[in-house]
Amino acid sequence: MKKSKSKKQSNTQQEATNVEEFSFNITKIAVSQICKSVGFKRSQILALETLTLVATKYLEALAKSSVSFSNAANRTQSNLLDLTNALHDMSQVGFRGASTLYDNNCLLKSSVLEDLSAFVSSTAEIPFAKPIERAKEREMEKVKASTGNLQRGAHIPEWLPSFPDVVSNEKCNKRVNGEELWENSSSVLGCQSDGFEEKRNPGKLAKERARVKFRINGGGKRVQLNGYSGNNLFSQTKDEEPEAEYKKPIKSKENQNRVYKRRKL
Amino acid sequence: MNHNPQSSDGKHDDDSTLSDFLGSLMDYTPTIPDELVEHYLAKSGFQCPDVRLIRLVAVATQKFVAEVASDALQHCKARQAAVVKDKRDKQQKDKRLILTMDDLSKSLREYGVNVKHQEYFADSPSTGMDPASRDE
Repeated sequence: MKKSKSKKQSNTQQEATNVEEFSFNITKIAVSQICKSVGFKRSQILALETLTLVATKYLEALAKSSVSFSNAANRTQSNLLDLTNALHDMSQVGFRGASTLYDNNCLLKSSVLEDLSAFVSSTAEIPFAKPIERAKEREMEKVKASTGNLQRGAHIPEWLPSFPDVVSNEKCNKRVNGEELWENSSSVLGCQSDGFEEKRNPGKLAKERARVKFRINGGGKRVQLNGYSGNNLFSQTKDEEPEAEYKKPIKSKENQNRVYKRRKL
Repeated sequence: MNHNPQSSDGKHDDDSTLSDFLGSLMDYTPTIPDELVEHYLAKSGFQCPDVRLIRLVAVATQKFVAEVASDALQHCKARQAAVVKDKRDKQQKDKRLILTMDDLSKSLREYGVNVKHQEYFADSPSTGMDPASRDE
C-alpha cells in the first residue's frame, strides 16, 4: 500500500501527541491493510483518513447501541444478543430476514451473524502489520513501584491523598458549621432541643425560624416566637428596617420589647 | 432477554453453529488489533469480559470496511472500463487502482455516510480566469 508521500515523511507523520491520534494512526494502518487485501494498490491520503474515521465511528456507534440495548434490560455488561441487535440497527443495506425481525424471537438465528461467520471462513487472516506498544505493561510497572497504595487498587492514581480513616469518624456526627442532613434536622424530628447548637454565626439564618409576616404600616403585634429565645431575631418583623435582623442576639425578653417599642412610630 | 422456547433440535443447531462460529473467531485474528478495539469500546461504555465478543466487533468492523472498499474498487474499475481507449492504456490503468475521494464518497453514500469533498479552494473570485477578461 503506497502513499504519495515519501517514506521519510510518513514516518514522522506517525508520531502521535495524544491518545486519540495514537489510536487513529493504528486504525489507519489496519484500514490500509484491509484496502490492500480488497485490491487497491494506492490511495489518496485524504481518502484513507476519511475511511479510517468512518471505521472508528462505526465501531463506536456499534458499541453505543449495544450498550443502550443492555442498559434497557437492566444490565451493565453487554452480551451477544445486545450486539446482534446493534448490528441489526447498524446495517444500512439490509439483510435477509430484516422484515420479520421479531417474529420468531430468535436473535441467534440472525442472518447478520451468518454473514459474519461466512466472512470469517472465507477471508484469509490479515495480521496487523506493526507491533503495538503495550500500554498495559507500563501501568503495571507504576503500580508495582509503591506497595503501600496497592490495597486501594490500580485505578486510583498514587498522587491522590489516601482515604480518610472511616473508623475514627463514626463518633462525630456534627459538622463544622452546624450543617445536617435535612432528615436529621430538628424541624423534621419534631423540634427537639437536643440538636440545638449554641455556636452560631451571627450573619447566618437560624434553622428553626418562625413564620414571617409582613406589614406595610409598621407597628402592631408581630410574629409569635415559638418558644426559642435569643437566636431568633430573624423571625421577627421584616419591615422597612432590615438591619434589625443582623443585630446580635438579645437574650432577655425586655430587650426584645425595647426593640419593639422603638419601631412604633 | 427473553425469547420463546423453541424446539430442542432447532436450539441445538443454533447453539452448535454459534459456538462453532465463536470458536472459529478465536482462531481468526482480525486485522484490527484487540487492544485498539477495546480502547474504542471502553470509550463508548461497552463492558464485556468475553474476548469473543470483542473479536466479533472487530470482525464486523473489518467486514464493513472491506465492503466499502470493494464497492469503491468496483466504481474505480467501472470508470476505467469506460475510459479505455486501446489495450495498452487498459493494462497501464489496471496497475493503478487508487482509492480516491470520489469513489469513496460514492460507495459510502450507499451506507448512509455523506462525504462531500471540495475540489479546490480559490482565494478570490477571479482566480484562474483569463487575464484579459478580468475586471481591473
